[in-house]
Amino acid sequence: MMIKHALPPLEKMDSEDIIQHLNDAMLPDEGKIPTYIMGSPSIHQLEKEKIFTKTWLFLGHESELPNNGDFITRDLAGYSIILNKDKNGTIRAFYNMCTHRGMKLCRADKGNKTHFTCPYHGFTFDNTGELKGVPLQKDIYGDALDKSTMALHEATIDSYQGCIFGTWNPEPEPLSDYLGDFKWYWDLLFGRAEMEAAGPPQRYVINADWKIGSDNFVGDSYHTMVTHGSIVKLGMVPSSKYSKKGYQLHTPHGHGCNIGMPNPDFAFEEHLVPEFKRNLSDEQFDVLSNIKNINGTLFPNLSFLISHTEIKGKLISNTSVRLWNPIGHDKMEVITWFFVEKEASADWKERSRESFILTFSPSGIFEQDDTEVFTDITNVGRGLVPQQKALHYTLKMGMNRTPTTNFPGPGTVYDDKFTEANQRNFYKYWLELMNS
Amino acid sequence: MSITKAAEIKYQFENWLIQEAKLLDRIEFDNWYELMHSDLQYLMPVRVNKEGNERPDYSTEMFAFQDDIDTLKMRVERLKTDYAWAELPPSRTRRFVSNVDVLEYEENNYALVESYLLIYRSRTDDIHHDLISGERRDEFKYEDGSWKLSKRFFIVDQTTINTRNLAIFV
Repeated sequence: MMIKHALPPLEKMDSEDIIQHLNDAMLPDEGKIPTYIMGSPSIHQLEKEKIFTKTWLFLGHESELPNNGDFITRDLAGYSIILNKDKNGTIRAFYNMCTHRGMKLCRADKGNKTHFTCPYHGFTFDNTGELKGVPLQKDIYGDALDKSTMALHEATIDSYQGCIFGTWNPEPEPLSDYLGDFKWYWDLLFGRAEMEAAGPPQRYVINADWKIGSDNFVGDSYHTMVTHGSIVKLGMVPSSKYSKKGYQLHTPHGHGCNIGMPNPDFAFEEHLVPEFKRNLSDEQFDVLSNIKNINGTLFPNLSFLISHTEIKGKLISNTSVRLWNPIGHDKMEVITWFFVEKEASADWKERSRESFILTFSPSGIFEQDDTEVFTDITNVGRGLVPQQKALHYTLKMGMNRTPTTNFPGPGTVYDDKFTEANQRNFYKYWLELMNS
Repeated sequence: MSITKAAEIKYQFENWLIQEAKLLDRIEFDNWYELMHSDLQYLMPVRVNKEGNERPDYSTEMFAFQDDIDTLKMRVERLKTDYAWAELPPSRTRRFVSNVDVLEYEENNYALVESYLLIYRSRTDDIHHDLISGERRDEFKYEDGSWKLSKRFFIVDQTTINTRNLAIFV
């Protein structure tokens, strides 16, 4: 496509002009998504302000904090937080910053503590966030120090099905409304049984924009034939079109997923069926019993997956979630957790973990090829040329199709996974927030 | 044990590791795979930041590699398909093996060997490189006249691994 109007580089525009330019160039309903949003520092700055400090972001799972005093350090929109279960059993998220001089208070990934002591001046906070100890307090401050004004800053958190979300937004939409109808699908992952995070998350870096990960998981089953062609050759799935059959669906707020079905084999451990039935509606259990895989994204950057493959002649599923955590306009830290039913047998847990590591960890034979694609998309999307030439990809797939009413779950549902309706829905909400 | 004997044993394993590095760096995966024992455990635990001196400072529950001889075979076979995009074209890697220390040794039977490993990885036309550094604790079993790797435990130095994937071997 030729350039219609020469535009100044985004980096020289002010925020309002960037938004105007975005609104001109980006038409999610028509499938027009400009490539430059995958590689521009200015876009990323705006995203931090308008998306990451406003929406709910995944922090971890309640199973990571089994005991009072347990803590984990996590990232909330680029700011370190301490997520801890205090002495009263309440889970709180503290900005990991001493309120005296801003030193990072806790530098371990996890542990158990009653108090956090700042390495700079020794100010000590208990795990409810109150400032309890100040070295030489009397000598230095006399009676003038009001410790009650120096408690640790807290972020707002809420949870659903054991998944803890946090936000810096002082007036967030309630988490329950934010998840909305998508809860029906979240229940399949985290509500089917008591789930536990087995071990710490995997962490690694991809030099790519975070949205490519979200985009890939929210709707892109189409790429699996080519990008993941090797797994067909290895006999892990039966055919290259393995990922076509099933449903693609989305709900408001940009959330969406793909459900591969039917599956002649039950993807979970049989003895857990009574627990699944107790926890799920009949319709939900029916879907769960028939799935061969689910992948999706909870807006903005939490993707999830149930994968079911044959390894060493045996079928095994694994459940995982991953954050595409932006650490720059062209760099993200991927943080991936493996989950398993608490009541699963030791053998199932072990095989499920092995299959996760073999397929979707940084060494995973699915994951590897995705990261290669993500990296090169970002390389191509950098700089002036993609912006000036208004490169875009046209997501037409599914545009002329009518959603099906023949599915028990809520949302806009298509009876085929090879569509791009979910990406359009994702970018539509992204653009809405960028305009907010 | 005499110094000569100790030096001979050390040389033997140092040389084993150097030859192994050469095979991997030269993309000779089938020949590399031949060095593995059928009992192989190929493990790379997730490294974690712990409070103070709490040890071990790696996870005993989660791994970046957790392979046996069969799943390692799948990885090797995958790299031969036309769809192994993560290594098409293959990365240029350079493995530096050092600080080899033979901790346990039973002649013609078993050995436990520690070493340091630094992997330089360059991909396509990217001017940046990845460095993966860590410590190996390798166990060997003697079979049919040669030492085979029966367990590799690679403790990586980074908690957030600074490479886009582990499509390469450690």
